[in-house]
Amino acid sequence: MPDFSLLLTHGIFHILAALITVVSIFVVASKHPVKSAVFLVIDLFLLAAVYASLDSHFVAAIQVLVYAGAILVLFLFVIMLLNLQPEQLRGLKFSVIESGTLLISLIGLLIMIFTSFRGVQTGLGDGTLDVQAIEAAGGNTYVVAIKLLTSYIWPFELASILILLSIVAAIVIAKKDKKVLTSSPSGQS
Amino acid sequence: MVPVEFYFVLACVMFMLGLFGALFRRNLIMVLMSIELMLNAVNLVFVAAGRATGNVDGQVMVLFVITVAACEAAVGLAMVIALFRKYGTINTDILRLLRG
Repeated sequence: MPDFSLLLTHGIFHILAALITVVSIFVVASKHPVKSAVFLVIDLFLLAAVYASLDSHFVAAIQVLVYAGAILVLFLFVIMLLNLQPEQLRGLKFSVIESGTLLISLIGLLIMIFTSFRGVQTGLGDGTLDVQAIEAAGGNTYVVAIKLLTSYIWPFELASILILLSIVAAIVIAKKDKKVLTSSPSGQS
Repeated sequence: MVPVEFYFVLACVMFMLGLFGALFRRNLIMVLMSIELMLNAVNLVFVAAGRATGNVDGQVMVLFVITVAACEAAVGLAMVIALFRKYGTINTDILRLLRG
């Protein structure tokens, strides 16, 4: 019976991995950005499923809420706002040499990963928080929150400052002030 | 648990697909979405490695990566809007001011 559960875990992972790969190809290769964004939403949901299968429930929830809920909505807003013309929606344009080089480097990287991570112990390594310890300490969300608000409190505060800065920067860049935006590059060209 | 190198291979495939899109697409929004794909591959490596070594630091790092990705998307899309307003296109074949 444990053999069956192991087989089920492996099967679920391989199905999810195949779906993620196919959907990622669609994200990159779709001609229209709206289709690409929708495929990216599907991709993020599948990744949230992978995180949940890795017992990282908080990250899975954040992935769905922030990535699929907020960032992709921002992308869709901008795609709709720009109202791109059809001639600007050309698809992939690459030469055989470039794509061949990328394919060969991908295969080499896969071989390198498979050979260099063969001996890595996949059980409990140098840390002490395996699944049972996390469950005993109060659950995944509790443990991550304790870690985030004690050991990582300064990066956490810096992240809030970064968000504030990016809000200000986005407003300054995107606002309709011709004196700030057009600094006359026509003199050089 | 599934061996951790399987997750690394999946993340590698995702990262290479994102790199492919970021290099070869001619639409700036598509370039930004490909960068999001690459960041997701990195997140997968963080979570899988943290799970395999019994740490939760990987999951905390994923939260920071998501924060930085949100900021990058906001500023990048604002720049896309400004470029479109100024030049009327977001095709990187036409926007070649920084090219030598």
